[in-house]
Amino acid sequence: MSDSLVPVTVLTGFLGAGKTTLLNRILTTDHGRRYAVVINEFGELGVDNDLIVDADEEVFEMNNGCICCTVRGDLIRIIGGLMKRAKKFDGIIVETTGLANPAPVAQTFFVDETVRGRTRLDAIVTVADAKNLPARLADSAEASAQLAFADIIVLNKLDLVSNAEADAVETRIRAVNPLARIVRATRADVPIESLLHQSAFDLSRILDIDPVFLDSNEHDHTEGIYSASFEVSRPIDMQKFQEWMATLLQEKGQDLLRTKGILHVAGEPRRFAFQAVHMMADGDYQETLAGAEEKSRLVFIGRDLNRPQLRRGFEACQVAA
Amino acid sequence: MSLADAPSSLLATRGTIRTLDANVTVTCFDRAGSTAAFALGDGSLHLAPVTGNGDWQSIALHDGAVLALSADAAPTGFVSAGDDGQLFRVATSAEPHLIFASGGKWIEHVASFAESRAGLIACAAGRQVHLFDLHGERLKALSHPSTVTGIAFDARGKRIAAAHYNGASLWFIASKSETPRLLEWKGSHTGIAIHPAAEAVVTAMQENALHGWRLPDGQHMRMSGYPAKTESLAFTHNGRYLASSGADAIVLWPFFGGGPTGKPPLELAQIEGILCTRIACHPKDELVAAGYANGALILAQISTRRVIVLNEGGPSPVSALAWSPDGTRLAFGTEAGLAGLLDLSAR
Repeated sequence: MSDSLVPVTVLTGFLGAGKTTLLNRILTTDHGRRYAVVINEFGELGVDNDLIVDADEEVFEMNNGCICCTVRGDLIRIIGGLMKRAKKFDGIIVETTGLANPAPVAQTFFVDETVRGRTRLDAIVTVADAKNLPARLADSAEASAQLAFADIIVLNKLDLVSNAEADAVETRIRAVNPLARIVRATRADVPIESLLHQSAFDLSRILDIDPVFLDSNEHDHTEGIYSASFEVSRPIDMQKFQEWMATLLQEKGQDLLRTKGILHVAGEPRRFAFQAVHMMADGDYQETLAGAEEKSRLVFIGRDLNRPQLRRGFEACQVAA
Repeated sequence: MSLADAPSSLLATRGTIRTLDANVTVTCFDRAGSTAAFALGDGSLHLAPVTGNGDWQSIALHDGAVLALSADAAPTGFVSAGDDGQLFRVATSAEPHLIFASGGKWIEHVASFAESRAGLIACAAGRQVHLFDLHGERLKALSHPSTVTGIAFDARGKRIAAAHYNGASLWFIASKSETPRLLEWKGSHTGIAIHPAAEAVVTAMQENALHGWRLPDGQHMRMSGYPAKTESLAFTHNGRYLASSGADAIVLWPFFGGGPTGKPPLELAQIEGILCTRIACHPKDELVAAGYANGALILAQISTRRVIVLNEGGPSPVSALAWSPDGTRLAFGTEAGLAGLLDLSAR
């Protein structure tokens, strides 16, 4: 992962959750960094800033035979345009509308070579309203999808709930997405350093999360989206893994919102970091810290996850004992 | 134009080079061919007289990057637009004149058309194409289903074509109708060209392919096999070939003898593993100039398949390329801010 790539933060969240407050904070705080902000409704922010780009969320389907492969063409265009500017940015923030499915934004960073050559997806940040999240989860499929896609979840409006309510909401978020980092906030008062330049797509921390926590079977099925995590101890046969994953994503990609993994590949000192958004997959070898455990872990977030089948599939990717 | 006696290092012997402060986003000549303009990522425009050793004129114009530039419909001057949403007319002798402000939307495309007494200027801002007359008065706004990603006038100035999601729209400019002829093909279309005899419209697509519609009957044409997206495409002056970037050679699709459907493209000036980034078709001959990702600049003659290296390369990709209207001069620019003018006239 090259440092010359401009980090892109995707900001999602339901209307009224505090996304605009957070954006205003990013734009007006004196943090000494330049961020271009791509927004959907001009004037919404009330900040006059030449770094704000007015976009229409324009999604199209790729002609690659993959029905869930939808992409934001406007983002490809805007990122290309921003890269023409002489004054460079420290980062780009892309806001999505409250009802938007985050998948097309994320997939854009997998699909387009020009975008990949100049930027990297740093993190998907979802702003959730601690008071209203349970109601949103009950009445809209997008709410759980936005949680499922997130790398970081800002649990906002904590002043409106008790500690016990906040803990209960956090438990519900964990049931959908055990990997995301949750940051608690009131009036979106989050330190900006904790949201931007996170390299949240740097997956090595998956191994740091307590497996007991990931393997919680007490997920709340009312959302329909939950996670399943698997760990194996023998090294991975990369060819077997790629064949298995290619078939799996082809057949189940629509239900697999996000897949993340860290693999200990046979004969390779570095770890292989793998991730997918629906059917679009990506991965590369990362430098490994000394003393890292020689195990591999894979986490799926999605619908209708067949745990025994997924476990057997992953286990079969190990080299022979 | 004869290539036989061209010297080998043309840039050194016949070139004028300047290093500018930012990446060159577009270059073009005015209609008289007396001035070349270089548009930059810092919002400035640089006007270079083609004859003599006159100074280049620098104009700080846009707030942000200049995204589009074209010759004015008038004999001299240019129209320029940027991510500040402003469209200017610029001439060497007068103050820049603001024609239009989009109110926030980037203006990424401009085009113009001129004949003896009439002229048209067009720009694309968001989903709309705005048309202006020779005096800069707005004639009409044409609406599209999604953001317009390329515009082109036909050779007679009767029609304008606009690329967008799921195809292109072809508008009769004089028509009172609010609806264009829709050329449909699913997907994201990112650039457009019209055949000089209006036989076809071709778009570049997100999926590293071109799509064409034969104009009399709307029949589809598919042109695929590119390793990268085509950012630059144009027909040769006589419409026999469509030249395109997006491979490690100039890719030329034949538009004669039943082509391009079922015909392989002609590939010229291959530099193995180096992407061709810009092409420019000569206005009078079957010659194509091409710029590459390694800064190389090459001239290719289609009939003989001969190529001449104008510049071996440099540190930065060629990002802008244009011929003068009489075809004697070539202007180019790179992402690193190198701007050059080559005199290729017979001596």
